[in-house]
Amino acid sequence: MHELLVLSSSLSKLYWVISPQLALHIPDGFLSLPVSLVTWVVAIGLIVMALGQVKSEHQERTVPLMGVCAAFIFAAQMINFPIPGGTSGHLLGGTLAGVLLGPWAGSLVMTVVFIVQGTLFQDGGLTVLGANIFNMGLVGTFGGYYFYKALRSTFGFNSWRGTSVALAIAAWTSVVVASLICAIQLALSGTVSLGIAISAMLTWHVLIGIGEAIITVIAVSYIWQARPDLLYDPPKRSSLPRPLVQR
Amino acid sequence: MAPDISSYPIGLCAFFVFATALTVNGRWLTWLIYSLGLSVLILTSRITWSVLLKRVAIESSFVGGILLGTLFRGGGSTLWQWGWLRITTEGLMVLGSVTSKTLLCLMMLNLLVLTTSIPALLHALKTLRMPSLLIAIIASMYRYIAVLLEEFDTMRRAAVSRNLMSNPRGQRLVIGNMIGALFIRTYERGDRIYQAMLSRGYTGVPPLDEIPPNSKIDRWALVSTLLLLLLGQAVYLQ
Repeated sequence: MHELLVLSSSLSKLYWVISPQLALHIPDGFLSLPVSLVTWVVAIGLIVMALGQVKSEHQERTVPLMGVCAAFIFAAQMINFPIPGGTSGHLLGGTLAGVLLGPWAGSLVMTVVFIVQGTLFQDGGLTVLGANIFNMGLVGTFGGYYFYKALRSTFGFNSWRGTSVALAIAAWTSVVVASLICAIQLALSGTVSLGIAISAMLTWHVLIGIGEAIITVIAVSYIWQARPDLLYDPPKRSSLPRPLVQR
Repeated sequence: MAPDISSYPIGLCAFFVFATALTVNGRWLTWLIYSLGLSVLILTSRITWSVLLKRVAIESSFVGGILLGTLFRGGGSTLWQWGWLRITTEGLMVLGSVTSKTLLCLMMLNLLVLTTSIPALLHALKTLRMPSLLIAIIASMYRYIAVLLEEFDTMRRAAVSRNLMSNPRGQRLVIGNMIGALFIRTYERGDRIYQAMLSRGYTGVPPLDEIPPNSKIDRWALVSTLLLLLLGQAVYLQ
């Protein structure tokens, strides 16, 4: 309880940039039983497989590393920034997590973020947790990562120009596709009709996606320059113009 | 096998939320029965109403999105029409159903979080067979959220004091770089935490001082909640 108080006091201090927003987080009661059930089954499968993969990759380091990275995504999601066009939005971070940590660890981190938001902060419901994990963990992170990797191979794997183009396209697409799938889920549940759900979600998330793309590219460019070895797929060539030699 | 740490409150909550949210639209009597049970719980929990309502009010701002869908929905008989906009009986039914389901679930979950400490919640999840690796990750994440937000705020203050956040373009650039810098710090922090954990004999879940064991009252509460949930569904069984 004490930590929660510390957290809420630090939240109120940061209020002008950091304010809780509900973006793709569907609350309880919006999805019907069949949709919830199917997405929960897929989400549980994803969690089990991701846990296994991440544990074999990071061994004992899994808990601290995944824990702080999840806290990192959580913190990054709370920061508001201006989007070209006049509104403000915040990062969803799916593609960013995938690019930095890889598809399995990335989707595990996103899943943990949704579980904590749903159970401890009531941002997104329990029955729809499966759907939220499906939309942003599986589609946004897993799909976003492989889309980014394919694009990066096409545009130039080791050049920053190719990587940044791949990042921007993958980040924008992952947000838009995730919102599209969310709209379809809402329509399948009979909460909103398909046309309205799609047009409302798309017009909003096409803009959000632009913000997502800009911030993802800038954040990765910082890491590309400072610590390229921390990227999940580090560039082959060193970022230095020529290798260091002793003279 | 009786669980050694009380997992009944969280089980009770989960049953309630799932039963409420997954009820078919339009079953008003079910939700009326559930809300009676919920208000008994809230009254016995001695929570201040204003605290609960404030939390629920912030979290229920999304109901507006559903309102939009209601205005354009067909089906049922039309009550009011103005050009493209029309309100139908079916639209109103969906709006009312979704709103009441969402409010009931939010109240229940807020009640759980306001009355139960986070370590107790995590231990309860463990007795409910959530993988312990996942719980350990959640616990360590929860510990570091405040730390990382603090670090963000430090960087933001540094940028503001250098007048870098004056226009939107600069703000985007600074925030993007902040996120990149924070990731590098986070990754290195993960390594340091790992070393510190090893040197202190870490077991996975934060230690607990006082967790009330399962008592008869807990069992009673769980059974009566289940009966209430079944009663609510049975009203519409013919």
